Order: sequence, then structure tokens, then C-alpha cells
Amino acid sequence: MAVRSSASENNGWVDVRRGLVSRDVFVSDEIFRLEMERIFDRTWVFLAHETEIPAAGDFVSRSLGSAPVIVVRDSDDTIHVLLNSCRHRGATVCRPDSGNVRNFVCPYHGWTYERSGRLMTTTFDRHLPKDFVLSEHGLVHVPRVEVHKGLIFGSWNANVVPLSEYLGEIAWYIDPFLSRSPQGMEVLAPPHRWRAKSNWKVGALNFVGDSQHILTTHVGPLTLDPVRAARAGFATAAENSFQVVTDRGHGCTLTYLAPGLPEEAYQTHPPDLEPLYSKVLQADQRQLLNRLRVIVGTIFPNLSFIETQVGPAQKAVIVRQWRPISGTEMEILSWVLAEKEAPAEYKTTVLRNGFHNFGVAGVFEQDDLELWASATYASNNAIAKQFPYSFHTALPYIDAPEKDHKWPGRAFKPADTEVAQLEFMRQWDRCMKSAP
Amino acid sequence: MSDQEPIAVDGALYIEIQRFLFREAALLDHREYGAWLALTTEDIQYCVTAAVSRDAGANAVDYSIIDENLVGLKSRIDQISNPRLTRAENPPSMTRRVVSNIEAYHSKVPSEFSATSYLLAYRSRPSAPKGGFYVAERQDLLRKSGSDWRLARRSVRLDHIMLFDGALSTLL
Repeated sequence: MAVRSSASENNGWVDVRRGLVSRDVFVSDEIFRLEMERIFDRTWVFLAHETEIPAAGDFVSRSLGSAPVIVVRDSDDTIHVLLNSCRHRGATVCRPDSGNVRNFVCPYHGWTYERSGRLMTTTFDRHLPKDFVLSEHGLVHVPRVEVHKGLIFGSWNANVVPLSEYLGEIAWYIDPFLSRSPQGMEVLAPPHRWRAKSNWKVGALNFVGDSQHILTTHVGPLTLDPVRAARAGFATAAENSFQVVTDRGHGCTLTYLAPGLPEEAYQTHPPDLEPLYSKVLQADQRQLLNRLRVIVGTIFPNLSFIETQVGPAQKAVIVRQWRPISGTEMEILSWVLAEKEAPAEYKTTVLRNGFHNFGVAGVFEQDDLELWASATYASNNAIAKQFPYSFHTALPYIDAPEKDHKWPGRAFKPADTEVAQLEFMRQWDRCMKSAP
Repeated sequence: MSDQEPIAVDGALYIEIQRFLFREAALLDHREYGAWLALTTEDIQYCVTAAVSRDAGANAVDYSIIDENLVGLKSRIDQISNPRLTRAENPPSMTRRVVSNIEAYHSKVPSEFSATSYLLAYRSRPSAPKGGFYVAERQDLLRKSGSDWRLARRSVRLDHIMLFDGALSTLL
């Protein structure tokens, strides 16, 4: 007999004790609106990589929550994030996706703003009342902007904790992939950008730790690509692997190479670049890189990353944002990164092989998106919503982190359970229930 | 007419090129991927790009979304043509590639010709049943050997600010 129960222990969304999450969470437009208010307008959200705006006046057009913003570098190197809407009558003052400006001139009536957003002139200043203060009518400024290892984050919440505190223990794990050489990583091309008919959390959950889908969803590229470790090697590697969960819902899954492979398989990173890593990383972080086949993770709420092998001793670092559009749609942005110091030929190969796998036409991507869209389609009806999603394989493990884990955060073995996913939803639930 | 102006192909040769482009589009629509791949050269370069929206006065910024040589192209095809290895293309997309506005030019190499074409590729599949179009301008390099034509280079420039229905799993 079918079990008809909603995840009903609290407000009906997430039941950690029973490993259930309501389907509404993944399709509802009402929940989406609440997410914008309770999560995306309150916490740190990724905006852009510093190397996308290297020079003074460079900008990219992005979003912070539902609001369109301009991310611009000023001549003193400060990064401003401004609501992309004129204070006069709302027109977008910056219409291209990227470029370089001396200042922002609204094409509608000519209100002109500096790169900092300060209003210089309305061009009809002579008609303004005496008590009109220009400095009170600048482009709305995102109050908090901070950079972590090249990643620019913004928050609409002036009182949000510092970014370093927000990232907390996950930083130790992500830093070797975001910045492991003296000059750091750079974005190799503008991001792939596309829309998919799925809730943004489906992607965020998949990347925080969904080892169970790899061999079934991705049977295609794993079977075909000669560069990949043999399927058997990949499967047994799960024994050496672990998930990490930290406070605030961040998490990642580290999958190591199986023992007994040919020696060259263990040369996971470019030998020419490895000496640079010891200048930046702690010894234990170096050990993190060593023999790692894949790391994949999500920084709450919607920034994910994966480092995966795309050629012999070639690793593509892919940074990925799942932007909520509605309860049933998201926009995906995907960047490929490599060490700034890497030779041009390496970067070209990593970029091409990176988006061959993960990007709008990626051979991994295409199967993920197809199945996610089917889940959205099949879940978005009253009958299906009576049957919450299953996170049961988290339950035997979620209260028993590894006791001798010597690195930050809480570690869980084996790596192919749903612990990190359920912890992500636990944090989501916390944020959604917390008062303003 | 200057030295540099490319010489347009006329007459019977133009019809051969047009027929070639129609034929390879039909092979893709009929999912005869092996036969399609046989129409490419060993040194095939197959590229699909999209463009960032830019100020009209600024330089264009294109970015690659597919950039394959023969090995990469073959692995893509091996994946989408094998029902056991693909989710995105099983059930297969229904597609119809309309190729139009073909112009072809001689090149410096007598057996090589450049061809531009407009592509309107319709695609419908279970997760996006309403279907949609990929619209693009294509630049091809074709090689003729005897009466055989082959595709040596293809650059597909998508006319989309954003793709709206999931990943691109077909070839254009």
C-alpha cells in the first residue's frame, strides 16, 4: 500500500528524522518567492569572478536574488555591485552582459552615474527642487561585497556575517580548487548561460553529493571517454572517499582514485604546476589534492563547483551557479577555471575539455538536465506532491560523522550516501523558517 | 573586383554543395550518425559558439560551447546514438533541420569551398514537448574529392542570448 504522508514533522517541508522532503519544495512558486526573501535577499550570493572584470571600468551584468545588478570595477580597484535600474524611472542603465564603461548613462532621460553608482547629474538638474540631494538618488548599492579567492560575493543584507565566517570550514576544502597557485585561478571564457526546467535546488543537491547517480545517469561518458578511470576503478574508489558537511549547509564529496591503477593515473595535476601549490597550500591541503579523482560540492545556497579530470594530468575546475527563476525553472551559469600561471595550451585544452563535459552542451550535463526536467514535470501535480522525495540513505549515517577526521567539518563515509544532501535541506529549512 | 573578393560558386557546383548540405542535414534528422560522420574529414573541426550581449560599439565576444575534433565528435555521437548510453537522446529528440540562404565560394585550394548557410533546427523531446528552434548562421569548409564531398570545418554561430530548454545534445 502506498504510504501517503507529507513531510509533516514541522511545516511540512523537510523531515530530517525520516529522510523526507516535500515535493512542493521543488516545484512551488510560492516557496520560490519565500526563498528570495528568506535566503537570497539575506545571505551571501556569488556574483562573478574577479578575473571577469580585470580592468577599471569593466563590468558584467548579473543578478543578486531576483534583482538585476551590475558588477563593476572602479578605478581604485573597488568592486561595486549596483542595482541595474535607474533611480528615475527604472530603465536598465547597463544593457549589455559585459563591457567597459567610464560611467553609466541612462539611455532613457540621461541620468548619469559614476562607476560607484553616485549620481552625477540628471541632465535636468535645473528643474530639481532645492531639497533634492543628488547623493540620495544614486544607483542602489549592494551593501556588502566581499571577495574570497577571486570569487565576488554580494549580499543585500547589510548585517550579514563576514564572508569568511559564512564560508567557515568549507573554505579549507574549496581553496585548493579556487586558488592554489600564487597568482590564483582565472576564468577562461565567459560563462555558459542557459535555462532549464527544474528547481535550482536540484542542481545544488546534485553537486553537494550525489554519488549514486553517477554510474546510471552518466553511463554514457563514463563508458566512452578513454581518459576516464575504468568504471571498476571509479566504483571501488568510493571506499576511499568521503563527504564533508559544514555549518550553514555547505558540503562536498571527495572521491579518490582506487588503489592498484598504473602509476601515471596518480599524476592527477599538471607536474609543472604542482611546485606552485606548495607555495600556497598547507601540507594537508596538498594531500587533499593528491590522488583525488573528483571533488564536487555546493556552497549554500546556489554556488557549486567540480574539479574533474579532463585529460592526462589535466584538471578542469568548473564553477557553477544555479540561479532561481521560478519554482520550476532555473538559469545555469558555468565557468571553467585554470591557474593563471598555466601555459596557454593547457588552458585551451582544459577549457575545451571542461565544457565538453560540463556546460550547455556537456556530455555529462545533457543527461543530468534531461532527468531533472522529467522529475520536475512528473512532480508538479497534486497527486505526486503527496509523496515526498526520499533521502533515506542519509539516515543510517547522518548522526555518526567520522570520529578520527583530522580536517575541518564533519566527515561521513561512505561517500555514496545522501548525508550532504539532507544536511543541505536541513539548512535550507532553517533559513526558510527563521524570522527576518 | 579585387583579388580578395571571394568568387561565388555557380551552376552545377552550387547545386552539388546545396545537395550536400541538405543530405547531411537529413542524415542528422534521421539519426544516421555513422553515415553523417563518414561525411566528415579526418581533420574535422566542429564548433558551436554563442555570443555575449555587448554594446554595439564594443568588440564582439563569442564563446565556445562545442569545440570538437574527430575524436570528440565521435564520442558525442557514440553517446547520443546508443540507447544504453544516453538519457538526453533516449527517447530521441525529434528534429528537423532547415538549411537555407546558402552561399558558396571558391577558395585558394581548388578542391576546397567555403559555404555559409542559415540553420533553423527544430527540436522536440519528452522533457520539452512544445519544441523549440535553434537558429544559427553556419560557416563550413567543404572538400571535394572526385564526386565526393566532405565537411572539413563547421562553425555554428547561435543567434540566442540564452538557450531555454536544457542542454544541447544534438548536432547542428
